[in-house]
Amino acid sequence: MATKTKTTEKNGSNGASTIKQPALESVWVRAFKSESEWPDKEEFLDVIYWARQFLGIAVGILWGLIPLKGFVALLLFALVNAGIVYMYCTSFQKVDEEEYGGAWELTKEGFMTSFAGFLVTWIIFYTGLHSEGFRKDL
Amino acid sequence: MWADTLLILFISVCTALLGEGLTWLMVYRTEKYQKLKSEVERQSKRLEKRKEAHGDSLDKQQKRKIEREEEKLKQNNRDLSLVKMKSMFAIGFAFTALLSMFNNIFDGRVVARLPFLPISWIQGLSHRNLPGDDYYDCSFIFLYILCTMSIRQNTQKILGFAPSRTASKQGGIFGAPPQAFK
Repeated sequence: MATKTKTTEKNGSNGASTIKQPALESVWVRAFKSESEWPDKEEFLDVIYWARQFLGIAVGILWGLIPLKGFVALLLFALVNAGIVYMYCTSFQKVDEEEYGGAWELTKEGFMTSFAGFLVTWIIFYTGLHSEGFRKDL
Repeated sequence: MWADTLLILFISVCTALLGEGLTWLMVYRTEKYQKLKSEVERQSKRLEKRKEAHGDSLDKQQKRKIEREEEKLKQNNRDLSLVKMKSMFAIGFAFTALLSMFNNIFDGRVVARLPFLPISWIQGLSHRNLPGDDYYDCSFIFLYILCTMSIRQNTQKILGFAPSRTASKQGGIFGAPPQAFK
């Protein structure tokens, strides 16, 4: 049933876009192609959401491997996360941010979930690779 | 310590799936919920389009129409949250019991080492029931909450159970007043 609901939604959005643009490529292709067309706003926001989640996990792994520590690492994550997504929207896809309710709406899309994902991966990798020296008894 | 960390990650994946499974069983698959959800989505989209077209106009008739639709949407949103409410309570109770069980299992155990010093009002959570005052030590509850925060929402999104942006923007899931249109 869940799949059915999802499929219906997907078909719905695709169906809507097919009417306007019959030759529209798949979301994956458009996400990696510069200046793609996004007739359905939800699709583009979904791309940003998932890009953010992926970015959060990737940065978490990287910070854990280095290891980067402290408040600087948190700040750096926020800057990297917001910066890359903002650059992606404005320089790569060149979307009109006003259409999505301003730069803030794009910047905050999925940010908290991505932040939580980042913290989890950062903590896991840091604990696994660099914490043994602190508590040998545990 | 790392085994505990990974175990907690696994636990939160399982509880997220279990939670969504139970909600599907009790809410998402019911006809009433599906009908209300599609109704809310449809109304939200229609309202947004109408606002885009006539939002700035001073036409009283259009304004009244928009207001009427907002009222309908609010009512439907309220009904939708009522449908969800009962089962959410039941699931909430079950999960509180589950959480306290895990809390007992991991009581006093350092499950991870934090790579940052949490700010003072978070330390109560990140250092809950832990011996010593090394605030870099992480308690079960802190890691579990973080895992749940990221896993739960992503699971909902993957499974297609997350409320659509248009619906939450227009009415909010608990029937909050619609935002003023810019």
